[in-house]
Amino acid sequence: MKTLALALAGLVLAPLFGGLAAGLDRVLTARLQSRLGPPLLQPFHDAAKLWSKVISPASPWQGLFVRWALTAALASAALFASGADLLLCFFVQAAGASFVALGAFCGSSPYGRLGAQRELFQMLAYEPVLLVALLCLAKAAGGFEASAVLAVNGPLLFKLPLVAPGLIFVVLVKLRKSPFDLAASQHMHQELVRGVYTDYAGRDLALIKIAHWADVAVVLWICALFWATGPVQMLLAGLVTLLLALLIDNISARLTWRVMLKVVAPAALALASANLFWLYLG
Amino acid sequence: MIEVCIGLLVLWPLAAGLACLGLRSAGPRTGLVLATAAVLAASALVLAAQAPLTANPELLASATALHLARAAAFLFPAVFLFLGLRARHTLVSTVALAQLALAAYGEFGLPAAAAAQNAVVCDGLALALVLVVSLVGPLVCLFALPYMRHHEEHLRLTSSRQPQFFLILLAFLGCMNGLALASDLRLFAAFFEATTLCSFLLIGHDRTEEARQSALRALWLNSLGSVFLHAGCLLIQQRFGLADLHLIASPGLWTGISPLPLALLLIACCIKAAQLPFQGWLIGAMVAPTPVSALLHSSTMVKAGVFLALRLAPALEDTATGRLLALAGALTFLGASALALGQSNAKKILAYSTAANLGLIMACAGVGTPQAIAAGIVLLVLHAVTKGLLFLCVGDLEQASGSRDLEDLRGMLTQTPVSALAASAGALAMILPPLGMLVGKWAALEALGTNPAPVMVLALVLLAVGSALGVVCWVRFSGTILGGRAVGPLVGTHGVQPSAQASSLSTGPILALLAGAVGLGLAAPWLNALLLPPWPGHALSGGWGLLPPLFLIAMLGWVLGLKALSRQSAGPLAAPYLGGLPSRGPGTYVGPLGRNRTLTEGNEYALELFGEPGLTRVAGVLAGVLLLALLAGALS
Amino acid sequence: MFGAFLKKSQLRSPWLLHFDCGSCNGCDIETLACLTPVYDVERFGIINVGNPRHADLLVVTGTVNPRNAVVLKNLFDQMPTPRLVIAIGACGCSGGVFREAPNVLGGVDKVIPVDVYVPGCPARPEAIMDAVVAGLAKLKGILEADQ
Repeated sequence: MKTLALALAGLVLAPLFGGLAAGLDRVLTARLQSRLGPPLLQPFHDAAKLWSKVISPASPWQGLFVRWALTAALASAALFASGADLLLCFFVQAAGASFVALGAFCGSSPYGRLGAQRELFQMLAYEPVLLVALLCLAKAAGGFEASAVLAVNGPLLFKLPLVAPGLIFVVLVKLRKSPFDLAASQHMHQELVRGVYTDYAGRDLALIKIAHWADVAVVLWICALFWATGPVQMLLAGLVTLLLALLIDNISARLTWRVMLKVVAPAALALASANLFWLYLG
Repeated sequence: MIEVCIGLLVLWPLAAGLACLGLRSAGPRTGLVLATAAVLAASALVLAAQAPLTANPELLASATALHLARAAAFLFPAVFLFLGLRARHTLVSTVALAQLALAAYGEFGLPAAAAAQNAVVCDGLALALVLVVSLVGPLVCLFALPYMRHHEEHLRLTSSRQPQFFLILLAFLGCMNGLALASDLRLFAAFFEATTLCSFLLIGHDRTEEARQSALRALWLNSLGSVFLHAGCLLIQQRFGLADLHLIASPGLWTGISPLPLALLLIACCIKAAQLPFQGWLIGAMVAPTPVSALLHSSTMVKAGVFLALRLAPALEDTATGRLLALAGALTFLGASALALGQSNAKKILAYSTAANLGLIMACAGVGTPQAIAAGIVLLVLHAVTKGLLFLCVGDLEQASGSRDLEDLRGMLTQTPVSALAASAGALAMILPPLGMLVGKWAALEALGTNPAPVMVLALVLLAVGSALGVVCWVRFSGTILGGRAVGPLVGTHGVQPSAQASSLSTGPILALLAGAVGLGLAAPWLNALLLPPWPGHALSGGWGLLPPLFLIAMLGWVLGLKALSRQSAGPLAAPYLGGLPSRGPGTYVGPLGRNRTLTEGNEYALELFGEPGLTRVAGVLAGVLLLALLAGALS
Repeated sequence: MFGAFLKKSQLRSPWLLHFDCGSCNGCDIETLACLTPVYDVERFGIINVGNPRHADLLVVTGTVNPRNAVVLKNLFDQMPTPRLVIAIGACGCSGGVFREAPNVLGGVDKVIPVDVYVPGCPARPEAIMDAVVAGLAKLKGILEADQ
């Protein structure tokens, strides 16, 4: 019963937290650029406006894949919140990312389809790193359940220092921020017009946004697990990660997918694997 | 009753095949294949209802059977030697001679091994393979009936060669059942060799030069596997005087004794299962007609290799040999998945993916814990069903479009909607939760993760990367087929005619396999619980308990998605965004000088990273080193 | 409650697509200057999107000629409804000083219906922002009329 309540809480709160994170992101970016920026709730206004727009779809499959992506993102948020098996949550979230790419494959604009190809390479780059990071968490906590990780005494960051760079890489990719905003850049910026999101419009785009918020919330929650001593500390950990991502976004230019696949992803993976090896030895 | 079932499982297909050879016309052939399907399915289900069981049927337990097996150890190599000399192929002849030498030594140089305790022990693993062979196999044979007819029309053959084809295809099913059920190593080896012969004959069926070469390559590599198999059996015969597969697999037998025979048997398994660096024969075997690829080279024959490895797995738990096998399996999972990513030939993608997933099962076998073995068996069953489905769909798409290249299969959705949709669904079934393949992969990761040896970290990292490579490969495959240029209203809504080839014998097996893949995924927790030894835990413990809710969520998503699909199919589609440029028709735009230009696209295969020649060399060398280390480690 | 939020949001998030028909770029510079910290239109939720499928406002500068009339029409057609068009500068309103040229068709309203005209050569950023606000007021009227 308690797990069900936690799951429902995760289901409802993840998109809300993700939207707030997106809003905070835009306000802080604006302040960094000496501007005022939009109100904090702007992302919710954006999604609500998109909800009422009327437009023909680019393909009959897009609505299907959008709803599957939303279902997967919300399901992974609910699973994480209820303390379930970390690896299964990861696979559910990865399924959501696959659906976004599939919907773009079914689109009609070449920008969208090019974005889908790049999205695949981004998945190839960040998924192993995230999976190894979760394996490190599981090893350090002594079990695969997220609840076991939450029950550990003291912050896990000190046992998992080498995983942090990899996790920042994953956060940058998931939040669609420079230098890894290759498939679609985060709001306002453009890459390949709107990249993998080009063909989505109207209500489909609103639903994809909500799915993206849930994804963001889940990734920041994983980062917060590295300092899971209490709810306030977890919130702060998530905020620190968001700020770091924001900062890197504002000072860096975009890399190419070749550099990402050949240099950055292997380096992040090597560091995370070294940490895993060290955990197995100690 | 059980003895009758076992007899039917092994001998009926051979009888039906001979009848196909005799009665050369199509009608009786269809009837015979349908009858075989019914008989095999019924017998397998009766066996399943009574499992686990032990039996001693006359067919497999009598002295005659044993004599036949010992004779087969000479007969098959002799046949291979003849084939090698006829084709003037040095490797085939040399390996066949080696096999004959080993057989002679085993027969005349060593005292005969004791007979097995029980001729048939049908436990979870054996039952899994029997069910796969008896349920998936006949579906593929049914698909083969219209497929081979079109294949021969396409090749414009004057005299049909289908009778020989179906003889070998059906007889093969009997050999696989025998292989799954026999406990005596000599009988197992005889069936093992029989499958090699069937594979050779079926790969070379089309009699083109390429087919001939591929068949000979498969022959010598598989015979090399048999050499290792026999060498291992002989060492066991010499050391223990045993030939019982179940006794050999008990860990107690091997304490303080060099596991060299086990290592030799495992190398044989790796060759049969087309692990790196032996994957060449499987890739070359893709020249065969699609039912051959579906049946032998994804669902059943290659499973014989992992079947033996899983059978021996309890003896590998916590040993260096086991750990090295797990590492080799993980390396194959990564290497073959990477090779699949650089391919645009659809059948080769499927072949490399098969090798990769077999590597995953090998990794489970290397770990050797009951959870790992159960995960391996779940993967074995689900992979057979899903990969069989994919091969059948690709075969149908290939016949309809005339090409095997993934880039040419775009837009097949309007021509062959059932096969195209089933192919996309099959591709997604390989990677998505809560379906079975993902569940098996997850269980395998957890089984490896709970092993405390530090070297397993390397295996885990290899598996993580391989998993991501597989996801990218299958999403791209599914997206290419779904998102073809001819993206438009679905068949039936606007009167688009489906291809004339959609006979119920092709769509029926495809739909049945699709239903099987989904249904088995749903049943995966209970499948897993049945395979584990009687423990206090139950089917829905740990992460397994998440699967039923995930299925419910998936069904909810399915309903919502289908509503959206029907709503959006009914209305008009928007013009593609091409920077504002007008388009005069689908897939074109008006470019400079007012000329109409076609919009072409292709997938990015990143050949600088995943190109076949370079990657085969690198991965092959690494895998070869690992397997050598496995052998060398077992010598001490 | 959600309904009220939905209605309010339709005016709080105007995403614009900027298209330069044949402008001398003077009006474009002023339009893009609105995005800079000095004028900061993001305060009003305005974002410059490059994709007509995501846009609510089409901000057009420059004169229309037969070549870019086709593109302009395409972009307008690919926008979701409800949508607004803002013609910026003298050229956008009526063709400006180039009105008599042989290849010039005239202002934007020769091809698509315009909702707000912003005179000036170039139009000032304040005027452009005022035009967006006026456009939103018109949109509010349209939405209320639809109820």
